[in-house]
Amino acid sequence: MISKSLALKVLNASLETGGDYAELYIEQTDSENINLENGKVESFGSKRSYGAGIRIMQGLRYVYGYTSDLSAKSLLGLAVKLSASFSGERAITVSEIKKGKYKVINKIAAGDHLYEIPVEKKVAYLKECFEITKSVDPRLVRIQDNFLTTHRVFELYTAEGATATKFVNEEERGRLSIVAMALGENNDVQTAFNGPGACHGWSYFTKTLNYKERAKFAGEKAIGLLTAKDCPSGKYPVVIANGWGGVLFHEACGHPLEASATAKGLSVFSNSIGKPIASPIVSAWDDGTIPNEWGSNNIDSEGVPTHKNELIRDGICVGFMVDRFNGRRLGMAPNGTSRRESYRYAPTSRMSNTYIAPGKDDPADIIKDTKLGIYVANFGGGSVDPSTGQFNFSASEAYIIREGKICEMVKGCTLIGTGQEVLLNIDRVGNDLDLGQGNCGAGSGSVPVNVGQPTIRLKEITVGGSGGKLE
Amino acid sequence: MNFNKFFELAKEKGISESQIQISKSSSLSFELFQHELDSYEVQSSQSIVACGIYNGKFGSARTERLDSTSFSYLIDQIIVSASVSEKSEAASIFKGSEKYKKVSYFNKSLGETPVEEKIAAFKKLEDLIYAGDPSVSEVQVGYSESSSSSEFYNSYGLKLKQKDTYYTLFGMAVARRGEEIKNNFELDFGNDFSNFKPEEFAKKIVTETVKKFGAKSIKSGKYPTVLKKSIVASLVRAFLSSAVADEVQRHSSFLEGKLGEKVACSKLTVEEKPLTKNIFASYFDDEGVAKTNKVIVKNGVLKQYFYNRETGAKDGVESTGNGAWQGGKIGTNFSNIFVKPGKVSFDELIAPIEEGVYITEIQGLGTGLNPNSGNFSCQAEGYMIRGGKIAEPITLITMSGNLLKMFKSLKGFDKEAELTLSSVTCGNAYIKSMSIGGE
Repeated sequence: MISKSLALKVLNASLETGGDYAELYIEQTDSENINLENGKVESFGSKRSYGAGIRIMQGLRYVYGYTSDLSAKSLLGLAVKLSASFSGERAITVSEIKKGKYKVINKIAAGDHLYEIPVEKKVAYLKECFEITKSVDPRLVRIQDNFLTTHRVFELYTAEGATATKFVNEEERGRLSIVAMALGENNDVQTAFNGPGACHGWSYFTKTLNYKERAKFAGEKAIGLLTAKDCPSGKYPVVIANGWGGVLFHEACGHPLEASATAKGLSVFSNSIGKPIASPIVSAWDDGTIPNEWGSNNIDSEGVPTHKNELIRDGICVGFMVDRFNGRRLGMAPNGTSRRESYRYAPTSRMSNTYIAPGKDDPADIIKDTKLGIYVANFGGGSVDPSTGQFNFSASEAYIIREGKICEMVKGCTLIGTGQEVLLNIDRVGNDLDLGQGNCGAGSGSVPVNVGQPTIRLKEITVGGSGGKLE
Repeated sequence: MNFNKFFELAKEKGISESQIQISKSSSLSFELFQHELDSYEVQSSQSIVACGIYNGKFGSARTERLDSTSFSYLIDQIIVSASVSEKSEAASIFKGSEKYKKVSYFNKSLGETPVEEKIAAFKKLEDLIYAGDPSVSEVQVGYSESSSSSEFYNSYGLKLKQKDTYYTLFGMAVARRGEEIKNNFELDFGNDFSNFKPEEFAKKIVTETVKKFGAKSIKSGKYPTVLKKSIVASLVRAFLSSAVADEVQRHSSFLEGKLGEKVACSKLTVEEKPLTKNIFASYFDDEGVAKTNKVIVKNGVLKQYFYNRETGAKDGVESTGNGAWQGGKIGTNFSNIFVKPGKVSFDELIAPIEEGVYITEIQGLGTGLNPNSGNFSCQAEGYMIRGGKIAEPITLITMSGNLLKMFKSLKGFDKEAELTLSSVTCGNAYIKSMSIGGE
């Protein structure tokens, strides 16, 4: 997107005042978003995101700047402005740029790229989804079907010596979203969501993905919620279903294991390497290398190939997600986890596809062995405070377990606790690992992530709802 | 950029009428950690969003790439967008309001103080927080200042401009006593940095952090509940999102059919005042319609929905100046909400409560709230109220309820109203009874 000679000039201007690492990231992302309301195209939005970010590090300090003007004047001006905040002597002069190599993980066949598929085909696909959801029940008054496509091309130049490295990478993602709203008595509106996404081409969405079932589920769940009672509150055993249930691990344990939190001692898991932080039946990974998965990338935002990073082995903390900057404070090498939403954000350590590894239990046995408790089939989402470890999750689909059987549905269910306790509290781990897609918002913006887990059981956790005591 | 050229090119391609908005912003921000400059960021960016009518249908596109390719990209995308649209409503571009009452929140001097001076001020702030209590183990402070401009043009010759400057800053302390870790985060914003009082700010952060030590969960049950203003602000916003006409017309709002009816306790009066000169000031919406101040809820009675031009036309009323981009379409939004304060002080507000809770922080409302039904459940912390006074700290509890029911059981507000970052000015609120989940 810019010439090699300009890139060299920008890197050298950045390193003028003693910086020991400079990085220039240039991006163009085209996205399109088709939105249907009750089966009719409501809007089609297209957006071109375009700009450059420059980051300079010197020891344990960094500066970052970005601009959407890629002219030489603008980029050099930005580099000079940023380097002015350091006051040392030049330590590095970049004289050449070599090509950075990496393995392509997310492969898509020619002709199958989402940007090659005409809008009309995507509209027809969404209409089919709408019809399936609609046919579930006449009380579904509002159904939104959406297909989002993003295609990013970026150039990344990194320099920490006389030879800089240039990476050119492409990222493509697609996501189907279905929102079903059911209208009950007294204006009671209940909402259900289903949103599968991947770094795959069109054939995945139309042939591999069971989109018909997804469309039906969304409708059925919204209808089910109309008659659901308010969730009870108190401390109970909770069984969490596989797949998107892993968002609990993502929030409560994943974020506090990011180097951006651990490096400064701001995380409850700072200095935890080698120490037990979970029940011995728990092992967990962050794996950015699973081909075509929603959270996978070929390389991270610093040009480091993505890794399969082990975080917890048999309950012992064995690793963090480490980016280049926070790795300096920790004395740890970056492990391909530095991510950003766009050029508007400096990259930092983030999760990719993060999951609890499968255990030995049959999920049916876990339910069977629970006398009275809550079964959370799906979460809406949640958040965590990494410094105290306190987290909260709201279940979007939950049921009461009575005498080992899943019984009535409940709504308005929230789980709260601390990351330190919840990991130690897991007493059963199923063998049915699955992943679910989401967008994770943190310091470097919103990035696509997979969360995942097999069915697990928490011995006891605080459940919040307005339905009184569970009896 | 020559926008007349855009209108001409669009017309040539069959786009009968069109509008274009350009936003520019530049900002500077930094954070300090353990007395060192931890991050320092500068940015300048621009973006264009354009829309037009093609074969009677509405189409839109946006780009951050401003060069010789921009206009043709926007025009091509507007055509694709309009070509697939299946909206039955007649689409048009607004010609302009009769009058505009201009407001801006611009302070040229904000960016004039050298950054070194600002960094030095924040190092002092860090020292003040550390000095506040021996239990403070980590401190993080940050500052950001922005200046932005937005320009609006359409093919009917309408031209509107607005310029703003503002700063936001934060401070956070982590404190430890044995195994117990507590933290507190405070924000400040405005456009005149000389009004910032570091001593007061530091004191507030530390006091609020150490007060949390020893916090425990409580027994689940229904409690008289006082909500801190920042929480009231979030809940008022959530409540008003159901007064957006689009939601009402699509049968996904709990306020459908409630115009002129009592939807809350008579202590609740809510106005939208977009023309108020503060960080949220604005005088035209994304369709070019002039913004006006208006009453939404008066003494508990719903008086007004929020309309853009399309939803207004559906109900046979004018747009209320609330049109706002939402992805590829102009949806509806609101800002600068004012909740009428009460007459009592905070101490007087809580005085009648024999046993209750004062909620000072909530987490997870974003996912814990169903905006369509108004049901919510989220994590909370705060203090017990005993004998009409603030007592011991409480944590790891949940607060759940329904917005409609909650505002109906509102007992009143105190007079300590303040503007919050969620664009709502309100005081602390006393709710008769709320479900609290704990042990």
